[in-house]
Amino acid sequence: MAFPHRPDAPELPDFSMLKRLARDQLIYLLEQLPGKKDLFIEADLMSPLDRIANVSILKQHEVDKLYKVENKPALSSNEQLCFLVRPRIKNMRYIASLVNADKLAGRTRKYKVIFSPQKFHACEMVLEEEGVYGDVDFVTALCSQVVYEGLVDDTFRIKCGSVDFGPEVTSSDRSLKVLLNAEDKVFNEIRNEHFSNVFGFLSQKARNLQAQYDRRRGMDIKQMKNFVSQELKGLKQEHRLLSVHIGACESIMKKKTKQDFQELIKTEHALLEGFNIRESTSYIEEHIDRQVSPIESLRLMCLLSLTENGLIPKDYRSLKTQYLQSYGPEHLLTFSNLRRAGLLTEQAPGDTLTAVESKVSKLVTDKAAGKITDAFSSLAKRSNFRAISKKLNLIPRVDGEYDLKVPRDMAYVFSGAYVPLSCRLIEQVLERRSWQGLDEVVRLLNCSELAFTDMTKEDKASSESLRLILVVFLGGCTFSEISALRFLGREKGYRFIFLTTAVTNSARLMEAMSEVKA
Amino acid sequence: MDCYTANWNPLGDSAFYRKYELYSMDWDLKEELRDCLVAAAPYGGPIALLRNPWRKEKVASIRPVLEIYSASGLPLASLLWKSGPVVSLGWSAEEELLCVQEDGVVLVYGLHGDFRRHFSMGNEVLQNRVLDARIFHTEFGSGVAILTGAHRFTLSANVGDLKLRRMPEVPGLQSAPSCWTTLCQDRVAHILLAVGPDLYLLDHAACSAVTPPGLAPGVSSFLQMAVSFTYRHLALFTDTGYIWMGTASLKEKLCEFNCNIRAPPKQMVWCSRPRSKERAVVVAWERRLMVVGDAPESIQFVLDEDSYLVPELDGVRIFSCSTHEFLHEVPVASEEIFKIASMAPGALLLEAQKEYEKESQKADEYLREIQELGQLTQAVQQCIEAAGHEHRPDMQKSLLRAASFGKCFLDRFPPDSFVRMCQDLRVLNAIRDYHIGIPLTYSQYKQLTIQVLLDRLVLRRLYPLAIQICEYLRLPEVQGVSRILAHWACYKVQQKDVSDEDVARAINQKLGDTPGVSYSDIAARAYGCGRTELAIKLLEYEPRSGEQVPLLLKMKRSKLALSKAIESGDTDLVFTVLLHLKNELNRGDFFMTLRNQPMALSLYRQFCKHQELETLKDLYNQDDNHQELGSFHIRASYAAEERIEGRVAALQMAADAFYKAKNEFAAKATEDQMRLLRLQRRLEDELGGHFVDLSLHDTVTTLVLGGHSKRAEQLARDFRIPDKRLWWLKLTALADLEDWEELEKFSKSKKSPIGYLPFVEICMKQHNKYEAKKYASRVGPEQKVKALLLVGDVAQAADVAIEHRNEAELTLVLSHCTGTADAATADKIQRARAQAQKK
Repeated sequence: MAFPHRPDAPELPDFSMLKRLARDQLIYLLEQLPGKKDLFIEADLMSPLDRIANVSILKQHEVDKLYKVENKPALSSNEQLCFLVRPRIKNMRYIASLVNADKLAGRTRKYKVIFSPQKFHACEMVLEEEGVYGDVDFVTALCSQVVYEGLVDDTFRIKCGSVDFGPEVTSSDRSLKVLLNAEDKVFNEIRNEHFSNVFGFLSQKARNLQAQYDRRRGMDIKQMKNFVSQELKGLKQEHRLLSVHIGACESIMKKKTKQDFQELIKTEHALLEGFNIRESTSYIEEHIDRQVSPIESLRLMCLLSLTENGLIPKDYRSLKTQYLQSYGPEHLLTFSNLRRAGLLTEQAPGDTLTAVESKVSKLVTDKAAGKITDAFSSLAKRSNFRAISKKLNLIPRVDGEYDLKVPRDMAYVFSGAYVPLSCRLIEQVLERRSWQGLDEVVRLLNCSELAFTDMTKEDKASSESLRLILVVFLGGCTFSEISALRFLGREKGYRFIFLTTAVTNSARLMEAMSEVKA
Repeated sequence: MDCYTANWNPLGDSAFYRKYELYSMDWDLKEELRDCLVAAAPYGGPIALLRNPWRKEKVASIRPVLEIYSASGLPLASLLWKSGPVVSLGWSAEEELLCVQEDGVVLVYGLHGDFRRHFSMGNEVLQNRVLDARIFHTEFGSGVAILTGAHRFTLSANVGDLKLRRMPEVPGLQSAPSCWTTLCQDRVAHILLAVGPDLYLLDHAACSAVTPPGLAPGVSSFLQMAVSFTYRHLALFTDTGYIWMGTASLKEKLCEFNCNIRAPPKQMVWCSRPRSKERAVVVAWERRLMVVGDAPESIQFVLDEDSYLVPELDGVRIFSCSTHEFLHEVPVASEEIFKIASMAPGALLLEAQKEYEKESQKADEYLREIQELGQLTQAVQQCIEAAGHEHRPDMQKSLLRAASFGKCFLDRFPPDSFVRMCQDLRVLNAIRDYHIGIPLTYSQYKQLTIQVLLDRLVLRRLYPLAIQICEYLRLPEVQGVSRILAHWACYKVQQKDVSDEDVARAINQKLGDTPGVSYSDIAARAYGCGRTELAIKLLEYEPRSGEQVPLLLKMKRSKLALSKAIESGDTDLVFTVLLHLKNELNRGDFFMTLRNQPMALSLYRQFCKHQELETLKDLYNQDDNHQELGSFHIRASYAAEERIEGRVAALQMAADAFYKAKNEFAAKATEDQMRLLRLQRRLEDELGGHFVDLSLHDTVTTLVLGGHSKRAEQLARDFRIPDKRLWWLKLTALADLEDWEELEKFSKSKKSPIGYLPFVEICMKQHNKYEAKKYASRVGPEQKVKALLLVGDVAQAADVAIEHRNEAELTLVLSHCTGTADAATADKIQRARAQAQKK
């Protein structure tokens, strides 16, 4: 399907340059330790390393053996050791202990420590954990993703653009590492698709492929020669990719039906729309009681809190109690982290006004509603999901079925239930060519410059037809947001370049907040 | 042109040598040159003189004076020598003056007589004294070689990275060698010395006797030896007045010459240039200068006064009390053009241009002649090249004019060689000026490079000229102007008589935001001169916090450093300052400092979480942050403590803290956990197995699975587990055990708070359709259809749905109708629907 871009959409720059630069830099660093050396890599950096340099490049620059940085004594017998690590205290202690052990043994070796990516990462991590970054659009990050790429990320975890498909996908006993990008033709066509369309598409594709194979019949020798030398390789490649993605889909389906995915999605949508809060709360309670999954339970609790502007005190206490009983008392600290980050809070008495407000705003005209909203938002300190989603129309009113095959707006990434806040804002800013007229929204978002970190940069000098837009996500974005913006780009003839500090999803967000018993 | 070649002297058939004046020296020498230790740096460098009172036997009562002059004789420095007796002087490649003392200490001075540092050539010298020393240049830098009183050699190939190498002993050496020199082969420094009729080569491993090939017989002693500028050639002067010239490897003889003068020469140096036609050495005696090469005759000059030879890359400089001259082999291009009756294209072009200026038709004739031979391009090139080798600007001009003239008649002559030569000559003429006094030749300039030349101008504090050159040559700012300004600023901060404000302002005015200028480097220099306040002022201009902060720390302005680090948003810097502050301040002050800096505090907490847990606790205590304190104890209860009592105690502390923080929920939850922990411990004691650290839910599940139903019930009551949870729990556990009998009993114990659909689901999950059906019958009407579908009873599900007249249920059942088996049912539903619509 993969709708073509409008013909006036600009071409994207060549990004392979970035890869080459990174590789050259790595080689330069490796060569600073001339001769044979062993390389110790932090597990975290394996996937990024994979993207820029393969083993043979490392071997060319005299890397002898590769080790993972673990809390174990190193067995390396090489005289030169090179470490490629994140700048973390833990790592420094590990390296120090290794060097000290050598010293005790009276051994002198050469050591070189390469930090990636210098110091900025430390900054980011610390800030994330300390929750310095005010409000980000957590709602988007917490919703179950239903676009293919997002689902693959939720299910298998995409690391640096590649994913490990286990035996359940490959239907063999080996797992397979697959690079997911535009070069994978099959993936490129389905990455932005709603999951309900993917199966149909894949089977259509399979039929087409078969038809192409079938053309062999009735070919004469010369045609056959042509076919084998030119097309067969491509077809085989495509065939291989197709079977991988079909395997992935099956695996996703299996997992989702086990969890009663439909129920889950229904609850999420109810939360987004603010209907049947009681029922949703009971659903979450049952979810906890049945110990379905600590991360999932937490995610739903946070979603409830964010959409309802905090839990009512009774639910706040009982859900937490239930959670502790199910998943262990250490999560008392998890709750403390979540409260600090504003993800799971208790409604303050003033906040009940929001319920009134949302009713009022339905009654009066939009303009008046805006003013009332202002008044309320100055009363309620925290950003208000309802007010913002009303203001920006994040939850589209749906008449009848939302046709997921022919999406009409960016909400398709959440089955028509919700437009990611960041995407809507970018759309608005692009339409207005500035933040003008969005003052109210900005106020609702509380000190937007800091909290709302998407910066949209536009090259005004270039002609109207050149609409290449760099979107910077500080603090991470989800694949769903990317898919939504790609949709926007196709509709309006923009090309987006995404720059993000990380691709995140609900599980990653929740895990970062969870206290784990060591 | 006949007069122009008057100072050309032929040597053999192939080469001419010429000597011309660079400067007339009007330095005011108080001493005769012969009474002084003299050192002149190559590449037109400065000249150092130190009257040598130690040479004469009588001990001088007055201290000698060390004087430094430019090559044009302008005084650069003059200082009273207060140190010990000096054996030898020499200039390093960086134009630092090395003074080798008798006791082996080498004192290093700058161009302006500023003392830089000193180092020693080894302890054994203290006793034996230094007899002689040489400063030499290699590709690594500048080296020093000494000969001690014990007739041993020690050398260091690079004084910048001092590694002393004691050379092996020469067997049977009783007296000092008659002459010696350093050689450089294969990037290793050797020493060649002469003892009587023998030559020895010392490398770091061994001493070996060597014989120059083709050496004339009858030599009983070597009086002088000379190595060429590039270490490629060697010349030996013997007591028979015979000169041997060959390669420095002593493998090949180039030529020999017998000058019949037996008196030892004062100096002997090579005079050649890259791609020389002739290899020649210049030998100087008291009043005589001789150029000898592969020719039966030599060139002889009379020296009117005491002179000193300085070997250069492409010739020899000769200075005396009154003049400074340059002697060199005439370059090819010049020779071609100026040689008498030359018909070389360049010579013709020069003539043509001259005739043209005279408005004579001969110009056309000459030009035609060149063009007919197709040599105009070559002629232009020759003129350009020859211009580079001329010292006098008028000659340069006339050659360039000729080149420019010739260019007019060429279609596509690339202009850059001409333009570049004009630029180079302009630079060269500027620095050769008497006031600057750097008499570089074109070849030397090219070898030295413009960057090094700029460095040397900076070294002489000739900042304006350096900047002018940069601007004239349009060098990139970072390499050119800004670098020079930065050097100027570093010099400026040393001016103690100017106030901090004025210096800082002057520097900022000049430098502004020039790219490539590092204010922190300048500030570091100011700090080095003891001007801390000035350094701080200068650091204000430094835009890179990464550069500001370390210097501020070094200057002990830690608090300022902290705020700068925080401003930068660079956590790494903040950490650097924090760890520094932590060691510098006492704990109380440190915490107080942190209190005013929230970002630093939160970073420090992060650090403590990994590294110093106790400090973290103190921090929370200080801030009365009971909530965090509680969290801290909670973490300690499972991370730091092993024993149950210790863990309970930690939890108690946590609970207390939570009460103080008015977080009753957390306090109660913590107390529950204490209770649970004790109980789990008891269960382990009584029942065995693993209970500690399980969640409450898992504890109860474990009990049920272990068949301790009573205990489980008790626990559920004690901890007020809600009925719903308990039912889910028991249902799941009993199904896992496949204890269907117990499950049924349980289901009948009272009305299920979660309904009976979960029973059906769980039984089906265990693939027990039989049991599932039992419960399906008990499911309430609302979920009946779902339950029936779960157990696969599509037909009955359809009946119920029809009975309910529920459209959604009907659709659901219909979606479960697959294959022919359910065809009848599907039919039935369709009929029911149709009927419903009729009504």
